[in-house]
Amino acid sequence: MIDEPDPPSAPADLAAEYALGVLTGDELRRARDLAQTDAQFRADVARWSGRLAPILDEAEPVAAPSGAWANIQNRIGPTEDGGNVVQLRRSVNQWRGIAAAMSALAACLAIVLVTGIPRTTTRAPVPVVQPAAAPLVAMLGDRQQQMKVVASWDPAARQLVLAVTGDMKSDPAHSHELWVIPADGKPRSLGTMGSGKQMHMRLADTLAKLLQQGATIAISVEPPGGSPTGAPTGPVVASGSLSEA
Amino acid sequence: MKRAMDGGSELHAGSGSGELVALLEAVSRGDRQAFASLYDRTSAKLYGICLRLLGSEAEAQDVLQDVYVIVWEKAGRFDPSKAGAITWLAVLARNRAIDRLRRRSVGTDAIEAAAHIEDESPSAFDIVEQADNAARLGRCLEQLEEHSRSMIRSAFLDGASYPELAEREGVPLGTMKSWIRRGLQRLRGCLER
Repeated sequence: MIDEPDPPSAPADLAAEYALGVLTGDELRRARDLAQTDAQFRADVARWSGRLAPILDEAEPVAAPSGAWANIQNRIGPTEDGGNVVQLRRSVNQWRGIAAAMSALAACLAIVLVTGIPRTTTRAPVPVVQPAAAPLVAMLGDRQQQMKVVASWDPAARQLVLAVTGDMKSDPAHSHELWVIPADGKPRSLGTMGSGKQMHMRLADTLAKLLQQGATIAISVEPPGGSPTGAPTGPVVASGSLSEA
Repeated sequence: MKRAMDGGSELHAGSGSGELVALLEAVSRGDRQAFASLYDRTSAKLYGICLRLLGSEAEAQDVLQDVYVIVWEKAGRFDPSKAGAITWLAVLARNRAIDRLRRRSVGTDAIEAAAHIEDESPSAFDIVEQADNAARLGRCLEQLEEHSRSMIRSAFLDGASYPELAEREGVPLGTMKSWIRRGLQRLRGCLER
């Protein structure tokens, strides 16, 4: 194709063309060099990338090939701190196990004390018989690692227990609100948090159903009394996902 | 452009965007569970983008893997005050896919180009997004001439380069460049208004 020699782009145009991705050859090299050396150019490219980004909405999501995740995990190397987390979870689990056994035992004793040895099966079975779903635990940390919240979910009792360690900054002008974010990505409020170090919440069935493995538990900063909109409005100060204890 | 124009656009603050920010922050601290959740929630979108640009499943998977390895290493570069989490991820994926496309097409320049590509291009991590971005872009694209609009869309979404666009439209390269440049200038004028 015969072509009139075209004048090189002005830097402002080049930044837009680079962000758009149309450049090839020498122009592409020139843009890459400028991106390395010229802060103004970089800022222009950043702005153009943001401006054009909504066009990517048109690309339909496609489920990623099943092998991709395993390859990514292999490439990011072995777990460095995972061991500790697993360890912690294990010990939480042990304590939970002991606690559950104790309360089951207590319940047995109570029934025995009240009714004598149960003679028939017409009475409700003692709690330990119930094949409860596995308890779940989420470790919620903040960015500065100044506080940690362990959220333990007991599906059988529909009880969520929060244990706060470290300093959760609070002031009277704000509340901390607890959220569950299930697989559909929509946060649902579990209520606001008090200032105590430990909290117990019993959840309604509709919320209880959302506390599944993999769901995220998050804490956001909201106006006093909680988010006025029903969705998180302030910054998330800690989050973690639920997994089997 | 219909979907990009409506206010509930995926690449915009909507349900779950705060959650993705939190996940990226956790990933920057090395939280593997958060990384897994992030992957679950975003990989289909990013793979869709890579596939659209590259057209080959094998290459799209390769780039997708690269993108998440980069996210694992560079999540700390994400700045929620500048752009939404999904926008950052989508543009990162898109830019990697473009790099791959250009490496594929340069032919004899391949080795040299590859050397450049391996450099961390700093702009890849800096994305500045304005509030109301999608609606604004949709409105401004509407004001462009049809051919500028469709070229710009095709370049960004399908990865078409200047020479490819010129060939597709049967116009000299210089003509294509001036169409697009003019389109981009007008777009900027409208967006900055």
